[in-house]
Amino acid sequence: MFSTVTRATSRAGFKLGTVGGSRAALSIGTARKMAKEAPANGRRVVAEAGPTTYAALEARLNLSFGDHGVMEQVCTHKSYAQGRVEHNERLEWIGKRALNLFVGEHLIATYPNLSTEALQDVQHSSFGMSSLAEVGRHFGMQAAMRWEPVSREAPAVGLTKVLGKAVQALVGAIYQRQGVAAARSFVKQHVLSRPVDVEAVMQIKNPKVMLVALTRQKGMEYPVARILKETGRFTSSPVFIVGVFCATKMVGMGFGSSLKMAEHRAAKDALLKHYAKEIKDISVTGDEPDVSLFAQDVAV
Amino acid sequence: MATYRLPKVLNEVIRSHRDQFIRPVQPKNGVGAFVFPCRKLVFNYCERSGSSKSMMEYLQKEATRFASENPQIEVVVQPRPSKHPIVRAFYTNGEQKTKCVRRCSAGEIPEVIKSLRDHSGHKLHRWNRYVISDTPSVRGIYSPFHDKAVYSISDLKTK
Repeated sequence: MFSTVTRATSRAGFKLGTVGGSRAALSIGTARKMAKEAPANGRRVVAEAGPTTYAALEARLNLSFGDHGVMEQVCTHKSYAQGRVEHNERLEWIGKRALNLFVGEHLIATYPNLSTEALQDVQHSSFGMSSLAEVGRHFGMQAAMRWEPVSREAPAVGLTKVLGKAVQALVGAIYQRQGVAAARSFVKQHVLSRPVDVEAVMQIKNPKVMLVALTRQKGMEYPVARILKETGRFTSSPVFIVGVFCATKMVGMGFGSSLKMAEHRAAKDALLKHYAKEIKDISVTGDEPDVSLFAQDVAV
Repeated sequence: MATYRLPKVLNEVIRSHRDQFIRPVQPKNGVGAFVFPCRKLVFNYCERSGSSKSMMEYLQKEATRFASENPQIEVVVQPRPSKHPIVRAFYTNGEQKTKCVRRCSAGEIPEVIKSLRDHSGHKLHRWNRYVISDTPSVRGIYSPFHDKAVYSISDLKTK
């Protein structure tokens, strides 16, 4: 998108509106209007986001809402102008629920052995507010946000939450205007494609105890640790590689500078191999006309 | 699932403070979808000075076409009196780059703009490694030149 500021008296990027039917938008301002725009306390005005910003943001994300005001609404927090302009709260409400549904579907299909508590933690850490805020920054939404910070002295405080809400609102806008398939495809491309760290979420305090309990539950033999390789046992820097075996099958392997530490890591490895087991190719593709992940026999 | 759980109260306390330990996942541009890094280009010129002549020519002739060919970039034209003409690029990672085009002829300005547009926004960095990986191996990247095993084409034959 294209916009022009022809007056030199202010540095503000003043955008009046669009002229002409082409995608390039031309806008012209006059000196008097510039003076009205500039604040009285003489602070240098940084160019505020205008219609061209939102049109560019739409194009960058390969979206095309019919109405140009949608993107502006998505990027407007209710703190802006005391909530008198159209803001993104309702879009954020529905978008958050749609986003959590798509993320939940993906997680439940990808990690079959994870407990719901751990799934919740994964969703919170990898797809929660701070991660969504990173997604928003990646889109370049930070420059397009319209909001009022809580305190003037620290204007960046609160931006993470506002950005995260804006991304949720964006998903909501796509969901409402373009349907479920388009929303899922958008979430899959931009949010679900990022790496998920399951190990950080699982708090494994005592892996040997947990492994004994797990093997008992699964009806496997009692786990036994055996040295696979070692070097430098009586030196200052020994290395032990230990495997944990249930009968003849090795379930986990770990290294350490002491036998105890190697055993600890081997047990942890065994637990992660089980609980964080990932199904790589789950049957959710972006161009399926199905409404739900689980609707396998819906006619195309 | 048999999980070793801490006493309920302590568990709740730890989980309620879990926000502190979140490390947000960094996006990787190109994985899943590609977001064009250059989000805004600002063209500054001076109406009266001679150094802005080729810049003004570009603005009058080619700028609109450039803007319509790149809908993902917000193009802003702004007069900056008594200063040399510059092109300022803003990127999605928060960085910006400025290039002064006072000595550029009319044909060189589109090249400057193209190089700013195609830049990723990351600062120039010297990478001292051949491969940068999220999952580095202790023994390094595989090299067939340092592998003793001899492979033959007949190994690829499937029955």
